Amino acid sequence: MQMPTARQRRLRTILFWAVPAILLLVPLGTNAYTQFIVNGMLISTLVTLGFTIVIGNLGQLAFANTAFFGIGAYGSAILAAKLGVPWLLTIPIAGVFGAAGGFLASAAALRGIRSYYLAIITLAFGELMRWTYLHARPLTGGTDGLPMPRETLFGVSLTDDTVKYFVFLVVTVLLVKATANLLASRFGRAVMAVRENEVATASLAIPTSRVILVTFIWSGFVVGCAGALFARHIGHVFPESFGMLHLIASFAMVLVGGLGSVLGAVLGAVVLTALPEYLRAFPGMEELFFGLIVAAVLVALPMGLASLLRRMSPIFVERFYREAS
Amino acid sequence: MFMQLTLSGLAQGAIYALIALSLTVVYRSTTVVNFGHGDFVMAGAFLSYVLVVLGGVAFLPAGALAVVAMFVLGVLFNRGLIRPILGGPHIGLALMCIAGGYVLRGIARMVWGREVLPMPPVFDMPPIFFGSLVITGDAIVIISTVLVLLLCFFGLLALTDLGKMVQAVYQSPRGARLIGLNVDRFNDVSWGVGAALGALGGILVAPVTLLHPDLGASFLIKGFAAMTLGGFGSLGGAVLGGVLLGVGEQYAGAYLDSSLIEITAYVIIVLVLFVRPQGLLGRKAVVKV
Repeated sequence: MQMPTARQRRLRTILFWAVPAILLLVPLGTNAYTQFIVNGMLISTLVTLGFTIVIGNLGQLAFANTAFFGIGAYGSAILAAKLGVPWLLTIPIAGVFGAAGGFLASAAALRGIRSYYLAIITLAFGELMRWTYLHARPLTGGTDGLPMPRETLFGVSLTDDTVKYFVFLVVTVLLVKATANLLASRFGRAVMAVRENEVATASLAIPTSRVILVTFIWSGFVVGCAGALFARHIGHVFPESFGMLHLIASFAMVLVGGLGSVLGAVLGAVVLTALPEYLRAFPGMEELFFGLIVAAVLVALPMGLASLLRRMSPIFVERFYREAS
Repeated sequence: MFMQLTLSGLAQGAIYALIALSLTVVYRSTTVVNFGHGDFVMAGAFLSYVLVVLGGVAFLPAGALAVVAMFVLGVLFNRGLIRPILGGPHIGLALMCIAGGYVLRGIARMVWGREVLPMPPVFDMPPIFFGSLVITGDAIVIISTVLVLLLCFFGLLALTDLGKMVQAVYQSPRGARLIGLNVDRFNDVSWGVGAALGALGGILVAPVTLLHPDLGASFLIKGFAAMTLGGFGSLGGAVLGGVLLGVGEQYAGAYLDSSLIEITAYVIIVLVLFVRPQGLLGRKAVVKV
């Protein structure tokens, strides 16, 4: 694969900051409904990003992503509704809660529970969390869920989707940039080295356990923050939002965008948040659609939409990224 | 009370054992864990429902037809979707299974919407009273069917030449290929048998449970828990784990708290993997770095 030249790398940096600058103008062209969907895309971007670094870059079959998301959302909602913490402040705290979830998941991986075993134990972890939301009634409201309190931010009501949009955009851009930088660093190379061959990586004096631990924690942090945004986005946190349908949707986004690619996470989230909206009215279509699209991508385009862009121009080649064989 | 719980636990456990066994059959042949297996179970239950309620077929032939249909579906699934990516990473295989399950679930929901359907009673036998113990017709049918099936299955493996060939492929697919066994066809049949056994589990619970398109998810987790408890990849372990899980759920629900029935399986998965990852009957295989 051809690597980008110095000029192309500069162009890419400009592009990276130009895109959110243009995105600031989005509310001018949206109505209430489309703005709501665009907000959802930003959240999905973070959820997908956190997922892809674990299953794509680190290559671990961990399905705890929805658990991190739920922990973040409930963490934010409980802090805001029960303790009166301003929502904006709950975002990093929810991130820390999510990171704690990531720590637990990495504990399983570091105990030697890998591959399918890791998949199953993290699946059980997610379902245990959902059971907790349902049964920890005094804290979570059980099946009735937990409403977010009304709040104002600098004098503007936080029920307005345009106001939410600007906050979501800032958080998303910061976390995407931070993750991209992390993956392009020495640490990011270590993450991908662990995926390719853990023993060989350890033999280069790279602390593989620490690499796995930090990747899980960062994934949990990003997705936990996304959970806090989600709590504000829908205004009411329900246990059903954190079930298997959310997991398969995030899977599909990771895969359609391109496993282990930051650009892919963004692409997958944008494409797959918008399309199912049209299928809501027909029961079953959403599942059929996600199922078919995942199967089709796995057979025909295993590295997702990002691989198409990479073929078009080296600008889109992510540093030290290697196509999985 | 204790006997009553044990009996209903055994009936539940028989179903779990069947599902765990079907997962293991697929896993042992292609080393793929079928994350869509719950939906195969659901599809079996729904097919029999369609044939009985809409087609007017009697329960027995309807069940048999559904099992055959699911066998074919399992074979086709392996041929069309699993085999092309079998050499690839585990993630792709896991995703393909989930995707296949979702397609089945989507189809079920397209036809039935969000309704919950009760199956008309089929095992119309009066319950047998045995002292204070009540033995329902459902329990008798489920336990005896599974028992006969398991005897046939393990008898076939232990006593026939076919069983020896199965052992050979399990031990070394490459070696089996070298001595002229058709491993590809063996994998097809394994997927077919896996899908059919899972569907049979669904058909057996259909009369005693409410049917809805999402019923597979919980059975998948129960199957995983049974496999993990018994020893991942062990055929006997899957059966043992299923029975223990079924009985354990009933005890936990009755003696501790009824809300614990739902999470017994998850707790078992987490505990077993942390404390004794090889399960009760499995061989030790821990990734070390």
